[in-house]
Amino acid sequence: MKQLVTPAIILSRTDYGEADRILTMLTPEYGKVTLIAKGVRRIKSKLAGGIELFSVSEITFIKGRGGVGTLVSTRLTKHYSRVVGELDRTMLGYDIIKRLHKATEDEPEPAYFQLLQQAFEALDNTQIPLEIIKVWFFTQLLQLGGHTPNLRLDSQGRPLASDQRYEFSFDSMAFTTSPDYGHFNASHIKLLRLCFGGNTPHVLSRIESSEELASQLLPLVQSLQTRN
Amino acid sequence: MANVLFIEPDKGLGGTYVQAFEHAGHTVHMAATAEEAIMTVDEQRPDVVVMELQLPGHNGVAFLHEFRSYNDWSDIPVIINTYITPAKMDQARAALKTDLGVTVIMYKPRTTLQRLISTVNEQVRA
Repeated sequence: MKQLVTPAIILSRTDYGEADRILTMLTPEYGKVTLIAKGVRRIKSKLAGGIELFSVSEITFIKGRGGVGTLVSTRLTKHYSRVVGELDRTMLGYDIIKRLHKATEDEPEPAYFQLLQQAFEALDNTQIPLEIIKVWFFTQLLQLGGHTPNLRLDSQGRPLASDQRYEFSFDSMAFTTSPDYGHFNASHIKLLRLCFGGNTPHVLSRIESSEELASQLLPLVQSLQTRN
Repeated sequence: MANVLFIEPDKGLGGTYVQAFEHAGHTVHMAATAEEAIMTVDEQRPDVVVMELQLPGHNGVAFLHEFRSYNDWSDIPVIINTYITPAKMDQARAALKTDLGVTVIMYKPRTTLQRLISTVNEQVRA
């Protein structure tokens, strides 16, 4: 049978019999693949090697019948070790993997692999505040799912103004003018534009007050993600 | 009595736990890191795990995700006894209990040996 070679990131792991593990891995070329890793159940350190979370590995596998293939070999390409050094980063890392796993079909676009790899890179950089990573990740997930809010015009079709305060209308997926009670201003909208514009968390973290703005935007992008 | 695994990076404190728990009739295994702990669970199959979350290398959350990914270890109770303050633990509490099956979370500076022993006994009986 033909052996396939690809970069891969582990999304989930579970037991299979006495000695084997079943891994669900995300690849850029073959989407999600479910593979049996034979004989890894009793290796000395299960937290090491090419089947570790928060890593990119080059894997060789054989496609199987019934959707479960066989993992032939792994070679660790990059391990994002600082993700497992800080508790908050680790918890966010697992949450990101879980959400991405849930949000993707069996054959997601290669962009999902890049998103997860970029998320690991951001989590591995302890200088980047977690609130920024969260807002960035949710916006990327929304964009890949085709749910980008209107960040140019308000719910009435007027250009968003720099001196206005806004609320967000989930029905129209746009900001709506709310002079007295609006939670969002031009700075929030600018940060959202930069997030949806594909800037990395590292770039976003260098923008003035971005951490504070991100924490204020977080409930909004979380709600958007949940609704979509 | 019970087979107890402590995941505790502080060797001095670990020694105190060994003495106190052996005196209380338990068998004690010690691990200082997540990697050691996984190997010890594999070899000793403890009845209960008592752990610090702040560990060198892979932290306690990484350990718990790995630990809970094995079906045959899914019913082993885990007690967290940590230096992380209750206020800081608030955000993580729900995820630790719901997703990772942590049964009890204790704040180490306020946990007496007597209380820890009685909590372990309760978990083993449960």
